[in-house]
Amino acid sequence: MPPFKDEHVLIISPGSQTTLAQLGLPESFTPARLRIPTRMFPAEKRGEWEPIKVRERRTTKATSRDALHGHSGGDVVMGEANGINGDGQNVDGDQEDEILYEEDPTNEEGAVYPLRDGRVADWSCFFALLTHIYNTLSPPFHTPILVISQPTWTSQDHETLTQFFFEKFKTPAFCLMDSALAACYAFATSTATVVDVGFGKCDVSTITDFAINDPGRAVGLLNCGGEAMTQRLLELLGGKGFTRDMCEQLKKNPICEVLPQGAELPVEVEAGNPAAAASTGVIGSGDGQRGSITAQGAVPRGPGPNTQAGDADEEREFKDGEDDEGVLDVATIVASGKTSEFLARKEREKAERAAARKKDAADAAAASKERALPNSKRTKAVFHFHERRPLEDLNSNGKRATDGESGQDGAETKRQKTPEPGVQNEAQAAEIAAAVRKEERKEERRRNKEGTAFIRKTVEVGPERLQAASGGILDRIADAVHRSVLAVPEVNKRSDLWDSLIIVGNGSKVKGFKEALLATLTARYLISPSSATIFSSELPSNFTTPVATGANTPQPQHHASHHGPGVNPLLLAATTASNANLAPPGQSQPQLHQQLQQQQYYQQQQQHHQHSSHAQTPTSIKVLKMPDYFPEWKDIGTEEAGFLGAQVAAKVVFVVDQGLSKGFMSRTEYNEMGPQGIHESCL
Amino acid sequence: MATGQASTKPPDANEYGGDEISALVLDPGYSTVRAGFAGEDVPKSVVPSYYGVIPTDSGNKILFGDNSIHTPLPRISIRNVMSKEGTVEDWDTAANLWEYAITSRLTNAKPGPLAYNGLNDTENDDVKMEGVEEQEKPLRDNPILMTETGWNAGKDRERGIEIAMESWGSPAYWLARNGVLTSFAAGKSSALVVDLGASSISITPVHDGLILKKGVARSPLAGNFISQQIRLMFSQSQPPIPLTPHYLVASKTPVDAGTPSQATLRTFAPNTEPDHSFRLFQEERVLTEFKESVVAVWPGPGRLSGHAQSGGTNMDIARQHPGKPFEMPDGWNQMFGAQDRYRPIEALFDPKMALSDADNPQPSASQTVGALIQSSLSQVDVDIRPALLAAVVVTGGSSLYQGFTDRLNQELNLIYPGVRVRINASGNAVERKFGSWIGGSILASLGTFHQMWISKKEYDEQGPGIIEKRCK
Repeated sequence: MPPFKDEHVLIISPGSQTTLAQLGLPESFTPARLRIPTRMFPAEKRGEWEPIKVRERRTTKATSRDALHGHSGGDVVMGEANGINGDGQNVDGDQEDEILYEEDPTNEEGAVYPLRDGRVADWSCFFALLTHIYNTLSPPFHTPILVISQPTWTSQDHETLTQFFFEKFKTPAFCLMDSALAACYAFATSTATVVDVGFGKCDVSTITDFAINDPGRAVGLLNCGGEAMTQRLLELLGGKGFTRDMCEQLKKNPICEVLPQGAELPVEVEAGNPAAAASTGVIGSGDGQRGSITAQGAVPRGPGPNTQAGDADEEREFKDGEDDEGVLDVATIVASGKTSEFLARKEREKAERAAARKKDAADAAAASKERALPNSKRTKAVFHFHERRPLEDLNSNGKRATDGESGQDGAETKRQKTPEPGVQNEAQAAEIAAAVRKEERKEERRRNKEGTAFIRKTVEVGPERLQAASGGILDRIADAVHRSVLAVPEVNKRSDLWDSLIIVGNGSKVKGFKEALLATLTARYLISPSSATIFSSELPSNFTTPVATGANTPQPQHHASHHGPGVNPLLLAATTASNANLAPPGQSQPQLHQQLQQQQYYQQQQQHHQHSSHAQTPTSIKVLKMPDYFPEWKDIGTEEAGFLGAQVAAKVVFVVDQGLSKGFMSRTEYNEMGPQGIHESCL
Repeated sequence: MATGQASTKPPDANEYGGDEISALVLDPGYSTVRAGFAGEDVPKSVVPSYYGVIPTDSGNKILFGDNSIHTPLPRISIRNVMSKEGTVEDWDTAANLWEYAITSRLTNAKPGPLAYNGLNDTENDDVKMEGVEEQEKPLRDNPILMTETGWNAGKDRERGIEIAMESWGSPAYWLARNGVLTSFAAGKSSALVVDLGASSISITPVHDGLILKKGVARSPLAGNFISQQIRLMFSQSQPPIPLTPHYLVASKTPVDAGTPSQATLRTFAPNTEPDHSFRLFQEERVLTEFKESVVAVWPGPGRLSGHAQSGGTNMDIARQHPGKPFEMPDGWNQMFGAQDRYRPIEALFDPKMALSDADNPQPSASQTVGALIQSSLSQVDVDIRPALLAAVVVTGGSSLYQGFTDRLNQELNLIYPGVRVRINASGNAVERKFGSWIGGSILASLGTFHQMWISKKEYDEQGPGIIEKRCK
């Protein structure tokens, strides 16, 4: 078997919402080049699938330039359908009552998501998606494939996938890599607690020395992913006219934040609006919180927040009206003979307007004052969102149905274009791709002018936006982390696991989520240094217990403590500080203290600055930092770090050792052992 | 005898799928159910034997698995499918629980009909196979090896094969004693297996791979008993030590040792509080942590209640040993002196040291580990006793206390002076916890074991009674 090359390696990372894929390993590992939604649309023939929604439309006259001409029956096949979109095919306009098929990349209606909560819910659809990805990237024949597997997949799922890849694509080598392990590779660590917050579920895995601890692994925690947060927002805001789609956009907006446990929600203080103040109420920390918020939702609010400020068209109309204000039909006024009366009225109006303006200015000042506060302290924030306009409206006007905002969705679907067959050269392909993209951008700009499927709207959101995770999701994840770490049989490894927490998955992208999870873990599970250890443990029993007079209390000198203020500083100094800094300022009880200090010094030397003799964990909880070898990943965040790990693993497994360490399953092995062989050689 | 021949003649390949089988090993215990594929070194799926029940208007909703039973849902109560004896009590729920353990991580029904699953891309689609879509049985392709305790008897032995064959559609089945499997895992065909589980300690003499049924001895002084001892120790100390599980704590503040905690506790609206059994179950998690980090076995010499050679009692010596601090979920913390650390487990060796109250009577002298081994050995042939004592295999999660094997060795040397006693206990906590599952994994993956399976055909011919004939 010839050796595998970097540029031939295919990596696929299926997720419940988005699937990442990439052909070729670049010099410096980049974020995934292909991101497509994990969904397919049922085609006309049962068991066949389309990557993009194809709509059927009856028209009396085919005016749409892009409408597909008379594709009848099931011959709209995937690859073909892809290429046709946007090519500007002209349809003869003289046919009557014709069924038209057109692609609608922004429509999600009827989409089937083959992965639900990480599990494969629809194999046929999932296979179609994998085939679609494969065809999109069109790898050469000698392509090894690495697939990141979800922890929820069963052993049998692994076999089914292996069989599919070997028999459908005739791949020479195949590797399944667990997503938690992939995250470990990305963070360059052999031991970690990986919290993978996905769309519908969350997985918590503990990994020691690259081995996943299966017993105690919290796989597929339901209602702990991004969707749970959207649903929570919908629950809170649903009564105020928010739709699910709006909540989804709100969740992704930076004004939506997850506050650490116990943090107080901002309270409206404007005295001028007693209704609002009453409605917000005084929100206590801890338990009462949830109750008071539901109560709050029921109270009617002032007209301020949650009133929609219309769309662009309305705004324009409004502006026009303002412009007209100054223009008067002087002739009519003079002719009517009531000039003085008119002038007096005009004066009055002007004064009123001035007063109003003054009030506006005061309001604006208050608003700007609030704007100076960080988002989490503000009671309300302006939220811009996009609303989908029903397509029929647009189409009936003869406008192009597409995503006007263009943004990511458009680009994503566009990129799925099948490259022209026969293009072998990478550079050439890249060139073509660049050209295609340029073309696409032009097209999008043109469409934006023409009309859009999305309308930009603005609405004010209250403190609900800070409560996306208030439905208990943090508690559930924290409990799962605690449970998983405590299920690791080697008690001495647990401390390391607490110190190397990795939080990945796009569900954790919500601003403040990771910090809040860490805060929850710390608040609930962190063991404070016990004040018992310092006075009684490991000291000879003939020692009298020193009385804490306060005079000799040494101050901790150069370490910032992350423990709460309630802990005795002497204790902290003794259990966590590095030695030698303990010299007390006064020497009133020199002998006893010297002995004590020597004793403590000795203990510290032995315990490497850990809390003395705690076998219980965690005495500290830390989040790992991803090493910054790869500049492309710096700004992108660590949510999709698993894909980086997969590239690292693919490089090692396929290219560097070429199968010496049995990191993948080769075709020969598959022929000998069948799909079951995957269990012996997958990461 | 027809059946005797059947076990020596290899069955036809199509009866169990030939050599390429992916057999499952299912090892139910009081605290967890271990399931996984034969040939692997650790069970992939470890599911608690406890399950949650939520009363609803339309009957009880049942929750399985760690992910769902630790959330304080309204009115949730926690039950266990096993009886305190370590045998299955609630067969219907147990069957569902086991199926959950297998299908959640190991195997599931096959993907859709072949015509549509994309594996065979065929051009003609005129064959519509509507009938195939019905739910296939979960274990259609997997022979299953189940374990049972040494004292499992009667009809209970036949229930397993009925579930496997009837509801799971398994092609083959085998039932093995967990003591025998543990000795296999330790690489011995003859051994005295000392198994410290959650509900019971059991002693199983194994000779040439066969269980010596007369010699099986057991007592309830195991994990749950030690938990009960710790609870008694907490409640009898002055002042009583509060035991608050994690789910009740909303937030905690660090406090000095021994002072009352200043935690904010979670409150539940009336009629939504979890059942008391839920609280006990969650307290058990704290106790497990306490056992792992504080409790240890008195290292000797002699018993904790005895007298040291240098004069003074062992208790006095123990007081000079270092203590261990422990913090409760609500922030309460204390240094537990050595006497407290040794006390809860000492009753396994010395019943006089057990804490007791009205509900928890003192154990009898015949229930200690030493006495159990003695009574077990007295039931087996005198010739094989030395061989068994030279291969004492210690397994089970409750044997992982610091210093347990050393102390057991001392005890056995006191009982059998002059006999060579060798304790065989894996240093690996995984191997110790899942000893019998690992033995099952080894057994089921042996090529020579394939002819042992009871196939579906044999079951159909002879019914569940075949277990008594084949699985001795």
